[in-house]
Amino acid sequence: MSILLSLNEATRSVNSGNNKVTLLNNINLQVKEGEFISLMGPSGSGKSTLLNCIGMLDNFNGGGYTFLGQPVHSMKEKKRSMLYKEYIGFVFQAYHLIDELTVFENIETPLLYKNVKSSERKALVADMLDRFNIVGKKDLFPEQLSGGQQQLVGIARALIGNPKLILADEPTGNLNSKQSTEIMELFSELNKEGVTIIQATHSEKNASYGSRIINLLDGEIVSE
Amino acid sequence: MFKNYLKIAFRNLIKNNVYSFINISGLAIGMAAAMLIALWIYDELSYDSYSRDKAYIAQVYQSETYNGIVDTGAAIPRPLEFALREDYADNFEHIIMSSWNEALNLSYEDINLTFSGNFMQSGAPDLLELEFLDGDENSLEKLNAIMIAQSTAKALFGDEPAIGKTISINNYFNLNVSAVYKDLPNNSSFSSVEFIIPWEALIAASDWHKRVRDNWGNNSFQLYVKINPNTTMEAVTQKILNVKKDRSKDEAEFNPQIFLFPMEDWYLRNNWDNGVQTGGRIENLWMFGIIGVFILLLACINFVNLSTARSAKRAIEVGIRKSIGSQRRQLIFQFLSESFAIVVLSFVLAIGIVLLFLNGFNALASKSIVFPWSNLTFWLSALVFIVIMTILSGSYPAMYLSSFNPVKVLKGAFKVGKNSSLPRKILVVTQFSISVALIIGTLVVIDQIQFSKDRPVGYDKEGLIEVFTLSDEFDGKQDLMREQFINSGGVVSMTTMSSPTTDVFSNISGYNWEGKPEGFQEDFAFISVHYDFVKTLGLNVIDGRAFSRGFATDSSGVILNKTAVDYMKIQDPIGKYIRHNNPSTNVKPYKIIGVIEDMVVTSPYSKVKQAMYVFDTQSSMNFYSLRLNPKNSISENLLLIESTFKKNFPNTPFNYQFADEEYGKKFRAEERIASLAQVFSALAIFISCLGLFGLASFVAEQRTKEIGVRKVLGASVGQLWLLLSKDFITLVTIALAIASPLAYYVMSRWLQKFTYRSPLGWDVFVIACFGAIIITLITVSFQAIKAATTNPVKSLRTE
Ligand SMILES: Nc1ncnc2c1ncn2[C@@H]1O[C@H](COP(=O)(O)OP(=O)(O)O)[C@@H](O)[C@H]1O
Ligand SMILES: [Mg+2]
Repeated sequence: MSILLSLNEATRSVNSGNNKVTLLNNINLQVKEGEFISLMGPSGSGKSTLLNCIGMLDNFNGGGYTFLGQPVHSMKEKKRSMLYKEYIGFVFQAYHLIDELTVFENIETPLLYKNVKSSERKALVADMLDRFNIVGKKDLFPEQLSGGQQQLVGIARALIGNPKLILADEPTGNLNSKQSTEIMELFSELNKEGVTIIQATHSEKNASYGSRIINLLDGEIVSE
Repeated sequence: MFKNYLKIAFRNLIKNNVYSFINISGLAIGMAAAMLIALWIYDELSYDSYSRDKAYIAQVYQSETYNGIVDTGAAIPRPLEFALREDYADNFEHIIMSSWNEALNLSYEDINLTFSGNFMQSGAPDLLELEFLDGDENSLEKLNAIMIAQSTAKALFGDEPAIGKTISINNYFNLNVSAVYKDLPNNSSFSSVEFIIPWEALIAASDWHKRVRDNWGNNSFQLYVKINPNTTMEAVTQKILNVKKDRSKDEAEFNPQIFLFPMEDWYLRNNWDNGVQTGGRIENLWMFGIIGVFILLLACINFVNLSTARSAKRAIEVGIRKSIGSQRRQLIFQFLSESFAIVVLSFVLAIGIVLLFLNGFNALASKSIVFPWSNLTFWLSALVFIVIMTILSGSYPAMYLSSFNPVKVLKGAFKVGKNSSLPRKILVVTQFSISVALIIGTLVVIDQIQFSKDRPVGYDKEGLIEVFTLSDEFDGKQDLMREQFINSGGVVSMTTMSSPTTDVFSNISGYNWEGKPEGFQEDFAFISVHYDFVKTLGLNVIDGRAFSRGFATDSSGVILNKTAVDYMKIQDPIGKYIRHNNPSTNVKPYKIIGVIEDMVVTSPYSKVKQAMYVFDTQSSMNFYSLRLNPKNSISENLLLIESTFKKNFPNTPFNYQFADEEYGKKFRAEERIASLAQVFSALAIFISCLGLFGLASFVAEQRTKEIGVRKVLGASVGQLWLLLSKDFITLVTIALAIASPLAYYVMSRWLQKFTYRSPLGWDVFVIACFGAIIITLITVSFQAIKAATTNPVKSLRTE
């Protein structure tokens, strides 16, 4: 399998007052296409920071980051934005749907940023609604849905752009166990279809859905 | 994409209806105010716009210097016409002598009406750009012709054809209607030319006019010109500047300067101060233009403040959008399109408001503005205006909101920084500084008007009417009419006057007296009056006595006002003589018989002019001044007076005016300005308060949890109210400290233009500041008290 991304001594630190705080220290990681990785570690160990940096919402400030053979660390903001728009989808613990948009519109939004034509957008969103069995909910607003349903919409939105990589930061953190199971089943299925997934999780059970588990502690990879 | 943005914008508007209401209503009110001001300014600027050749038309003006003070005006002497025609003709397309616009009685069969019009030379129709509906447009060449406006024709002849009909003028001479022209628009300098009589007819009918043919010292006429297109106003002025000085030795000492006053300046720049053009209405245009911009700015500030204050709510959306692929400029575009949508919505509302209040505004400003639906320029300007408003109100919030870091805001750790409310505070201070300064300014204007209205006028203007006696048929009937009026019971006393109590029709110079300083260039207001002048007007004699039937020599007596005595530097004036400079004229010397307290005649804002009141021996009267019988009602008196008048002058219209009303008119322009200023400064403070209300409710909402905790800990409603209000009060207090000195500076300069002016007292500032604080408290307290009285259990649960 080809390599999707690789981190080479990647470091992320911030200045807090006079102190330099290292959030991620010398991370070396290769992710192949089609992997399903679970990031584990206690709260504050740097899981979210790592996901954000991989997802290019945040940047490493040391080391190298290559995505599909391209050096992300030396890329301009605009190029980077093109890259993640094209290949990466985010799923959040708090779903982060836009409250003022309906289910349909929420799922459609990434396509707007990719300048997809209106008719094509409609078709793609309709397919997605169909696939997730939420056609009946398409005109509802997020607050009218249960947490599990909202997360479904969140995943649908992450998938709509047909990304190679899904980054999920504790996607089931706000869900009960039945809903969690459903979401994890869905991830497995997507993974089987070829989508690479990296999820951060506290739960051993959720982690076990992955093909590979990485443990973080204080910003460093302690074991695989 | 844009559609998606608009959808979000719209849903946000609905969801946050209070803020939307504040934003949109504030913007709409501000835009409506600005639109009204713009329409008003446009209307003022389009005065005389009917004239296509405006750029070539001018009135010939004259400046003369008396005792070092330059006096500028339209009055010119007759020989100027001949001098221009002889030596400067190639500069002009038209040289047109004109009388003053005067009221004459026009009679046809049994219809007697008064119209105002001019005696003018034959180029007038071309200079006035008259549109003829009937008759011969060159007929001013004929001596017995009269051109009349359509409305004049309608009033005199109804639907009958006017051409060829004979009109009697002042029951004195007859003229044949030779042409009918379309009335000139209301907003034009010649709108009161309701008829035109050939200038030559005036000369033919009057010996006096013939006598002054070569008299450079008699400035009693007007002269209009149209210059040739190949020259300029300045060039012509340069040539004719000294034409009078060079030709008249007697007048040279007054340094007469003859110049062209372009039609383009007539309406807006007609103020002269010591020979220098010093603006005029144009200043009001600037003033209201600035007020309009300020009001818009206030509304924009509300928008900026409310958008940024509520940024925390939008932050998550910004984070999500960035995480799913939005670039910053797309977000900027999104927020700008939201602002655009709101501005457009407000604009539509503003048009509604303008339509609703246009009539009231017209009444207030005494205008007849119609909404320019079909004016392309208006819509284009509106478009530009919308774009500017969008940028003004939307760009800062767009830059600010789009700058959020998605990682931070999505983590929920997003906290607006401690200093993020500083720009907001500065804007609130700016808002209130502007509003309070406007309020102080308005109060000063109102104060100045009231102060001048309270000025003692030196005579009793209530219960005094002036009946117009403009034609010659009244000559020699003063005593008869006085007797009849008094016998009718409607009048207790009567005199005649050559000028009304509210104006001076003539001025004189060329006199000498004992103790006159060497080289003194005198200039007096000159009014001819009759017996019972002092009694009828209720004047105060401070020295000597009034004209009396007991002294035959009083017909050559003169009464001076107090200013004249000081002006002449004459000691013990009573009994002394004022003689004509040229002893060869057979004008009798005037013997000073009395001194009266000053009468405020012209501007209530200026010094009273030195005046000579002489006994009318030349039939110079233009008015009967009648003191109404205080025992009757005014309407009863008027009926008695009119029937007495009609018995004696059956074919003359009975026209009269109330002295107090005429005096009141002197304040009209300023009162109009003041009431407009009141409306706009009230709007300014209202818009500012809207914004403050929005901010207060935002703060209350933001601090819900804190208030709940404090309440649980035992804080009283009063303490909580203070907690929530004191920041705003501080801001407004800072604004007051900025606005007061600023307003003081501007308004004390404004007051400089009035000689008789109200002292700029601290009371105005106290009222404005106190008012602003009270208004702020009311605005802010509503939210503060609401938050403070909410059940803490409820407010704690919301977190
Ligand atoms: N911008 C920042 N400045 C300072 N500390 C930060 C910043 N972002 C994250 N941290 C800290 O870095 C650590 C890692 O955070 P995070 O990646 O959110 O951990 P996790 O997701 O594993 O709980 C935490 O201790 C957090 O407080
Ligand atoms: Mg985390």
